[in-house]
Amino acid sequence: MDKIKLRQICFLFAVMMPVTKTIVYPATLAYRSRNDLLWSALCNLLLEGIVIALVMFLAKRTKCTFFDLLRNTFGKIGAKIIYGLFALFFFLSALLPLMEQKNFVTLELYENVPPVISFAPFFALCFYACTKGFKTIGRVADIAMPIFAFCFAAILLLAVPHADFAALLPVGDTGAKGIFGGALHGMNWYTDCLYPLFFLGHFEYEKKAMLKTLGAYAAGAFAVLLFLATFYGIYSDIAILQYNTLAEISKYTTAGTSLGRVDLLFVFALTLVLIFYSCVPVQMCVHCVRKAFGGCSPIIPAAAVNALLLVFSIFFNYSFVELQTLFTQKLWFVFAIFAYVVPILSLLLRREPKNKREENHE
Amino acid sequence: MNKFWTRLFIIAAAVLLLLFFSNDFGLIDIQKTAVVAAIGIDAAEQEGFCDVTAQIAVPDQSGSGKASNVTVKGASTVNDAITELNRKTGWYPTLVHCKLLLLGEKVADNDVLGVLDFFLRSNFIDDSCLVAVCEERAEDTLRASSPVGELTAVSISKVLSSTAQKTGAVSVMILRDFAKGYYSDAASGYLPFLSVKREAQSENGGSGGQGQQAFAPAGALPGAAEKNMRGTAGGEVYGKDATCICAAGKNGICAMVKKDICAAAERARAFSIKGPGSIWQKLFPRRNPLPVAVPCASGSGQGESSGGQNGGQKSGSDTNADVFDASKTMLFYRGKRAAVLETEETLAFNLADTSTDLAYGNVEVMENGAPVVYCLKIKISGKKIKTDVRGGTPVLTFRIRAHAQVSDVNSSQNIVDVAQTARVPAHVLRAAEEKFAAMLGKVLDKCVQSNSDIFGIAQSLHRFHPKEYKRLKDGLLEKVRPAYDIQFETLH
Repeated sequence: MDKIKLRQICFLFAVMMPVTKTIVYPATLAYRSRNDLLWSALCNLLLEGIVIALVMFLAKRTKCTFFDLLRNTFGKIGAKIIYGLFALFFFLSALLPLMEQKNFVTLELYENVPPVISFAPFFALCFYACTKGFKTIGRVADIAMPIFAFCFAAILLLAVPHADFAALLPVGDTGAKGIFGGALHGMNWYTDCLYPLFFLGHFEYEKKAMLKTLGAYAAGAFAVLLFLATFYGIYSDIAILQYNTLAEISKYTTAGTSLGRVDLLFVFALTLVLIFYSCVPVQMCVHCVRKAFGGCSPIIPAAAVNALLLVFSIFFNYSFVELQTLFTQKLWFVFAIFAYVVPILSLLLRREPKNKREENHE
Repeated sequence: MNKFWTRLFIIAAAVLLLLFFSNDFGLIDIQKTAVVAAIGIDAAEQEGFCDVTAQIAVPDQSGSGKASNVTVKGASTVNDAITELNRKTGWYPTLVHCKLLLLGEKVADNDVLGVLDFFLRSNFIDDSCLVAVCEERAEDTLRASSPVGELTAVSISKVLSSTAQKTGAVSVMILRDFAKGYYSDAASGYLPFLSVKREAQSENGGSGGQGQQAFAPAGALPGAAEKNMRGTAGGEVYGKDATCICAAGKNGICAMVKKDICAAAERARAFSIKGPGSIWQKLFPRRNPLPVAVPCASGSGQGESSGGQNGGQKSGSDTNADVFDASKTMLFYRGKRAAVLETEETLAFNLADTSTDLAYGNVEVMENGAPVVYCLKIKISGKKIKTDVRGGTPVLTFRIRAHAQVSDVNSSQNIVDVAQTARVPAHVLRAAEEKFAAMLGKVLDKCVQSNSDIFGIAQSLHRFHPKEYKRLKDGLLEKVRPAYDIQFETLH
């Protein structure tokens, strides 16, 4: 069976989750919430933390997979339909981070704007990851841990001296509209809490598993908040101009020196972590497609999903802003339903098959 | 998949990723790339248009590099000018290495963000690049030659470097910080005001006494020579006429780099630009002078490229010397020139508000009925500018703590006083405090008159006293009452 270890899930939250919030998200959040961006992010992080806690609580009570729980409650067809919907959701939630990452790489790592096809190798890697299932997610999390810990710390060490944290004051300056508006429009960056639901039955629930998972998530959340605070401390009123934040905040220490932009080494390493994490929703999508189609071989759905993503990334090459506007301002409720409401409702699913219950009653 | 296909796939993915990251296919031929080292922007004759000068570094076989200035006149936007540059020269201009944006004086008569916004929008230029306003035209300033084999842009960048900022001689500004100030509550900012002093002479030109003095940084002249120079300071406590120039200009309070060893090296270098009779020049015959206070050939010969002009190379026959002086600071309100801080005011502002932490200052006191000038070496040990509201009035408090020691005195003293250089008489310390407060008062007056909030009073009130800020924000600067908590202590 496709297994993942609890340690690897913890690493996923502690070291991979924060990287996705370091590209376009800070500037988007600053546009909506300005100096209250930390409070908006905190709302999202708390919501995610609650969902993760509830899913871990469910994991403690059952060894079933999420598909089994759905099948127990809605029958096999119902479970397949729901998995089909989740496949669609994961496809959508993978699209924006991919475009984000593509723009980041082409703008920051290239001298000139390269051809669209330059990003194609990513899909080859992603295809390979999709054929391997959850265990690759776990292994990548293991590898990412030291890379992230070192590089993220280095970037923050270079950036923090230039940050004026007083820029985050006064608290609540943008009011509830700014804080909650920022939180709502940032939903598409907070779908990580959904992953443990699909890991159900694929990992052993150890002693103090909930504490470990939540602790790891808290560490990741702290990294996100620290990054956002440093980012706003450096840019304050011009924060919305900084689209590729990860490559920007550490340059002020190194750019003027004879060494040059040595911080880019750390940025490259974190970009690698980001590449692997961008594969996760695609892997989830392929997992759902396989389940929806009765457990077929992963090669065909992996090839189809990645080919579709490649086509979409070419199609939306010059429409990132429109895509971002659609996802953040129009479709935020879709992310809220799938990433928060469904995992919470999953607590109500039957943990045993209907027939077995009836047998027990008799 | 079997093992063979798995391995093949991994290798293929690795190769593709390598190409993806390295962008080997996307490089532009170096022969077609114009590495722009600096951009100068001037107001064009036709209103609303601008002249853009790009200083382009052209690497040569010796590795020393040459430079050409290419000017595009009458462009409607900076981007237009860059495009025009590409069209006219065939070079693809890359701005990644552009570390200096120089604005002509007339550009500052209008909102400078009208031209600077291009650089904020562009991903291909770093917002950590230096920004300065220059006297007259930026095009002319970029034509000034560097006698030490550097591009003019590099020489100017050194005048405006963070090291220069630490010495207090220049109020250095980068694009990001200027934009932050512009878009802040106060809509204010400042830029170093650069001028080219063309009257100075190089060593070949046989400079006169004044010229020599003007090049010498604080403490550059040992013994009697330095004393003679400092002896010219008169009247002002901060030595208005003192002719010691450090880093970028004639400062009454001459600043110094932190490490004495660096200072000694600078003294040696700076002093070596004196006349041929200098003993220091004999001792260090091959040393180059400080690029910040060096004579620059004013020649502007034809450049190598089409429409280009010499961009900062010193020719062997150059005798005239130009000095870059950025000791003044231009204040801005809503992107337009609001006022100019003079040299002493700039230094006082730097000592109070920026990263300047070590400087020299002249203090005049009366001793035995005669004026005596003490040159103090000042080390700032603590500084804080705080805005709060007392009794409904915004109060700006300058809290400065400094240690001082006597660097020199313009009168003869007994051997014990000379030996106890770390002891500063109390009356000298008090005089220094008073003078510092007076200079800060002058700076604040200019801020009030020009409505340029360079101390960030509005921002500070907004952050820490938001309710009072809403009440006081209209005409805030006029309501501000300064409070000075300045203490100078002797080193021992």
